[in-house]
Amino acid sequence: MSYADTSRKRRWLLGAVGLVVAALIAIEVLFPANPFTGLAVVLLTLVTDPNYVGSVLRLTVPIAFAALGGIFAEKSGVINIGLEGLLIISAFTSIAVAATLGGGTPSQFDLWVAFGVAVLASVLFALLFAVVCIEYKADQIIAGLAVWLIALGLAPFASKVIWGQVNSPPIATLNDWTVPVLSEIPFFGPVLFDANPTVYMLLVAVAASWYTLNRTAFGRWIEASGENPKALDTVGVDVRKVRYAGVLLSGLFSGIGGAGLALGRVGQFIGGGTTMINGRGWIGITAYLFGNYNPLGAFGASFLFASLDALQIRLQQLGYSIPSELIGIIPYVTVVVVLAFVGRTQIPDAAGEHYDSGED
Amino acid sequence: MRGRHTRRRFLGGIAGVAALGTAGFVQDDVTNVGMVYATGGLGDNSFNDMAHQGVQNAADEYDVAFTNAEPGSPSEVANLQQRFAQSSSPDYDLLCCIGFVQQEPLRRNAERFPDQRFMVVDTTVDADNVASYTFREQEGSFQVGHMAGLLTQMEFSAGAGETNDDAVVGFVGGREVPLIEKFEAGYKAGVAHADEDIEVRTAYAGAWNDPAQGQEIALSMYNEGADVVYHAAGGTGSGVFQAAQEVGRFAIGVDADQSESLPEYADVILASMVKRVDRAVFRSIESVVDDEFDGATNVLGLERDGVAAVYGAELGDAIPESVTESLAASREAIVAGEIEVPTEISEL
Repeated sequence: MSYADTSRKRRWLLGAVGLVVAALIAIEVLFPANPFTGLAVVLLTLVTDPNYVGSVLRLTVPIAFAALGGIFAEKSGVINIGLEGLLIISAFTSIAVAATLGGGTPSQFDLWVAFGVAVLASVLFALLFAVVCIEYKADQIIAGLAVWLIALGLAPFASKVIWGQVNSPPIATLNDWTVPVLSEIPFFGPVLFDANPTVYMLLVAVAASWYTLNRTAFGRWIEASGENPKALDTVGVDVRKVRYAGVLLSGLFSGIGGAGLALGRVGQFIGGGTTMINGRGWIGITAYLFGNYNPLGAFGASFLFASLDALQIRLQQLGYSIPSELIGIIPYVTVVVVLAFVGRTQIPDAAGEHYDSGED
Repeated sequence: MRGRHTRRRFLGGIAGVAALGTAGFVQDDVTNVGMVYATGGLGDNSFNDMAHQGVQNAADEYDVAFTNAEPGSPSEVANLQQRFAQSSSPDYDLLCCIGFVQQEPLRRNAERFPDQRFMVVDTTVDADNVASYTFREQEGSFQVGHMAGLLTQMEFSAGAGETNDDAVVGFVGGREVPLIEKFEAGYKAGVAHADEDIEVRTAYAGAWNDPAQGQEIALSMYNEGADVVYHAAGGTGSGVFQAAQEVGRFAIGVDADQSESLPEYADVILASMVKRVDRAVFRSIESVVDDEFDGATNVLGLERDGVAAVYGAELGDAIPESVTESLAASREAIVAGEIEVPTEISEL
């Protein structure tokens, strides 16, 4: 990664944004009765509406957590495309444990215990994936797909065993955390200081991930393990251990994301079809690719995708009928564009390759 | 799971014993019914459970023995239909095929087994040996829309919810398919029947299994002043109820009486648009028992209680009499044909 590259990319990006804005202004001047003006007014009212921004943050949580997890795994050299599966496992475990502990009416304490157990389950599942990939040198893509497919079958099956049906009965959810005084601030108060606990956790996790990757020795090991494992090995750091740590961290973050969705908001596990996770793990992958393996970028991308989703459900209500399926493919189209034109050089050199320290 | 297996084995056992018992004596004493459910399986709190209820009711009333089969995936449906149709001990008098997923396999099997009587719910198969049952979902949706429209104009509070000053209601659909647009069209017509000026906000989640999305959609509607949100979105609808509880407003359930099947949300569920799959199953079995079976298409609307607005178990009593009376009147008018309920949004 060279600085010249980055600045050229920035200029490209700025140029593109400028072109779009100029085009919109031109349309506005030339055709005053165009539909964009109405849309622009709607957009402006929305982004200043705390309800909208709050909704976007909540939708961001599972996507961004999956993305953070993906960054650690892939940067260390293990491509984990099983994030979706990890989210499913932790969402299911959190509801199952909470319902068992509280017998249908779990207390807040029960919910937090269930949250912890769910994260643990996700980490254990990630450990299984790590062992298969690192110890037994399995193809990472195939093993990752297996993680997803196993979770997709296992979670609905287990809920049939427990509840006799693929959907769990509803239970209580985690209470919002309100910061006194600060929550009174207009706009920022309700958005940032009267929010779901998982939103706070996400903001902390993003900052901590950025700091870890960019300012600590461990972050440099993760980077080296993915870019040039042999160099890391030469200076006496065990590549296997670093990669294990990377994959386990992906389990940790995905676990928080899945349990956060299930316990923080919904209070139920839905196991039909693609389960209640409904592709959020996959969008997480596109988010970190779009964000160039930077936790801040990944958070920004997740926030962008979530805000498009939240925007789409509001535009539908105003009669702008944009098919939700079309909005749903935006992340994937974006990532294809980004991978093809912008982010080609950013993928860690040794990602997806097995490293054997004894090979020479 | 184990409980269900035992039950299935037990029921199979009953059917077997019943068949043995009658063999050689009067053959037609017991009516044997084979049930092939939709892929959601039993315990879905709606479609399949109601079909199961229907056959149980028939077994209580008549000399009926039945065997359940739950396909795990759409590909198993054809096989299960065949196995029942080929069976000679017992020789099934009627096969009940539940759900849209049965249509294609049934079309072939009805041809292959011309002497086997079938019934199918939620879709039509054009054959002499198949009785099809479909529903006028738009009529039931009209009823709950009418109720939502009347209540949003009032000051009304019950259970965990209360209305606000804005005359706004909402509708959340699962996917934008013709079946669900029937719900939307009927609902909108019902709201307009209460008052043309009421704003109806509608949105589709794009999924049947995404309660988080359903919750955000419903929240955005409630934030814009909606008092009542009606969902036809399967598992996504749980999120609608959750949102209603969060902000203290109301919601309307679908398919089954959801204030009974999801009692946790009974304090916000005003009513449910119930599709009486149980009645369709019961009627088809009754027609076989009475030897009146014919391969016709039966469309069940408000008239024969095929669909109905069923008031919530907890909130039903709190709904003002003026509202329930208006609803009874509009129901009469629909049954009498005085109100035409649209089936497509373009007809509104």
